[in-house]
Amino acid sequence: MKKRPVLNILLATFFLYFFLVSIKLLEKGIKTLGAEYTDQLFQSVSSPFAGLLVGTLATVLVQSSSVTTATIVGLVGSGFLNLEYAIPMVMGANIGTTVTNTLVSFGHVRREQEFKRAFAASTMHDFFNLMAVLALFPLQLATGFLTKMSIYATDAIIATGFTATKPNSPIKAAIKSGANFVVDFLSRIPFIDNLYQNSYRIYAGLLIFLAILFIFLSLKNIVSNMKSLMLNRIEFGLDRALAKGGGVVAIIIGIFITFSVQSSSITTSILVPIVGSGILAIENAFPITLGANIGTTITAVLASFAVETSDGLTIALCHVFFNLISVIVIYPIKPLREIPIKLATALSNATAKRKFVAILYVLITFVLLPLLGIVLFN
Amino acid sequence: MSDYSLDSIDAKLGEMLTNSSHMFDLSMNCLLGDTNLDTVKENLYSTDKTINELHRDVRRELIVHSAVNSRNLDVPLLLAYMTMSKDIERIGDYCKNIFEIAETGNSFAKEAEELDYFISLRDQISGFIVSLQTCLSLDEEDKVQELIASGAEVGKEIDEKITSLLENKLEVKYPVATTLFYRYLKRVNLHIVNAATAIIMPTDQIDYIDE
Repeated sequence: MKKRPVLNILLATFFLYFFLVSIKLLEKGIKTLGAEYTDQLFQSVSSPFAGLLVGTLATVLVQSSSVTTATIVGLVGSGFLNLEYAIPMVMGANIGTTVTNTLVSFGHVRREQEFKRAFAASTMHDFFNLMAVLALFPLQLATGFLTKMSIYATDAIIATGFTATKPNSPIKAAIKSGANFVVDFLSRIPFIDNLYQNSYRIYAGLLIFLAILFIFLSLKNIVSNMKSLMLNRIEFGLDRALAKGGGVVAIIIGIFITFSVQSSSITTSILVPIVGSGILAIENAFPITLGANIGTTITAVLASFAVETSDGLTIALCHVFFNLISVIVIYPIKPLREIPIKLATALSNATAKRKFVAILYVLITFVLLPLLGIVLFN
Repeated sequence: MSDYSLDSIDAKLGEMLTNSSHMFDLSMNCLLGDTNLDTVKENLYSTDKTINELHRDVRRELIVHSAVNSRNLDVPLLLAYMTMSKDIERIGDYCKNIFEIAETGNSFAKEAEELDYFISLRDQISGFIVSLQTCLSLDEEDKVQELIASGAEVGKEIDEKITSLLENKLEVKYPVATTLFYRYLKRVNLHIVNAATAIIMPTDQIDYIDE
């Protein structure tokens, strides 16, 4: 084996551990705040609709649904958020993550036909995720089916005795000792120790801020190392997708690539120039995008290994079920799966001649509407 | 940067060259020998289609490679592959043109004086295609330089022949067919040399061996 892949494996493993430690730190920070204070904060997200939009906006800001969902797992695991509000947030994260590849499509803006294809390839992901939320969010509000399914699955997994789910598992112990090491290290810094002694809420805020920063940094490094490691296989997978066309194989390729690099944005952003150049039809890129939606859910499942309560695993499974069900419901029915493609094509036709429409679309969908919604629903 | 598609592109260029070599030998034998044209025509045209498909595959793989490796992209290398594949693809087209000279009823098989020279040209250029294939897989600069120099030499020789024909200084049985033949042969030779320049020369110098 060459030197570079070994380094990539070591770095990816280290940052995966650091990622789990960061989730634990987030949990510690929230617990340091105290139940009374967190209850007050929690009331600021007072409706599932607001939760949905907070999830969208937060993901747009950090440009990664994995960061948002991993943070949500940490918040749920620490008891700061309950499932009722966390589930819409996870759905919102799905919508927010599509902004990255939409921005990538702007790289093709100089060539009209190419931009049309690239913009359609990116926005079909937006429309699919919006459609999934429109279909499943009201159903979840009315029946709580996702919550029930996830709790059932969590209980089933715990019943199997899977090591990572046990409170005293070696994995959890290793993560806990890592988090304790970071906290000890911070307490040796006089300024931080002073905060801890005299103003524990500011100290807790700092811990939460650092934890989210560490989640972001560790995920960024996991993604870059895994991408370097998996480049050959990604290209192989995409060449297979080009040869086979769409279908279930393409969904599996999407899952595999995203699972490997821990980022749906990487997968969908790679597709944009390939569709833009015209060598992959938008219809064939669509199932790869759906696979990316499923593949990205693994990050939250990994994050759930770091938290103490089983609710962390439940919300992670909720993310899995939401993306899985949306694909199972929409993709097999031709008229349904054509909706996001047709809408994306229509929008890209409208934006090809008037580029400002594309900019307006991004601003309104990903910034103004979520902001307005948060204000209204709170 | 990943090696998967670059290896795959190298393999496809090699395959294009194998097919080009086959087309060149077939078309030259039709004109210089007594090969039955009907028996090789289908083979020749289907081989050209295979080359064209491989050319499109190379382009597709270049796009996938650039999309996946967008952050560490070796742009000069991709441009070199692009131009090289185009040059190799053109060899097949000129082989078809050579075949078409034979198809219109011209045969150099009985042109005793020039035939030996034609055969020596065929052998040299055929050897260049094989050398290009070796250069592509070994990436040895000396061998590429040698190929470029030999190719340039043959190119000059053919140019002189064309000039002599245009100035009516060379008497041949089929002047138009012979001029076209030299012209096509010159293009085949030039595309081989151009493809070789793409292996070692800076992007702006590719195709310009005289300047």
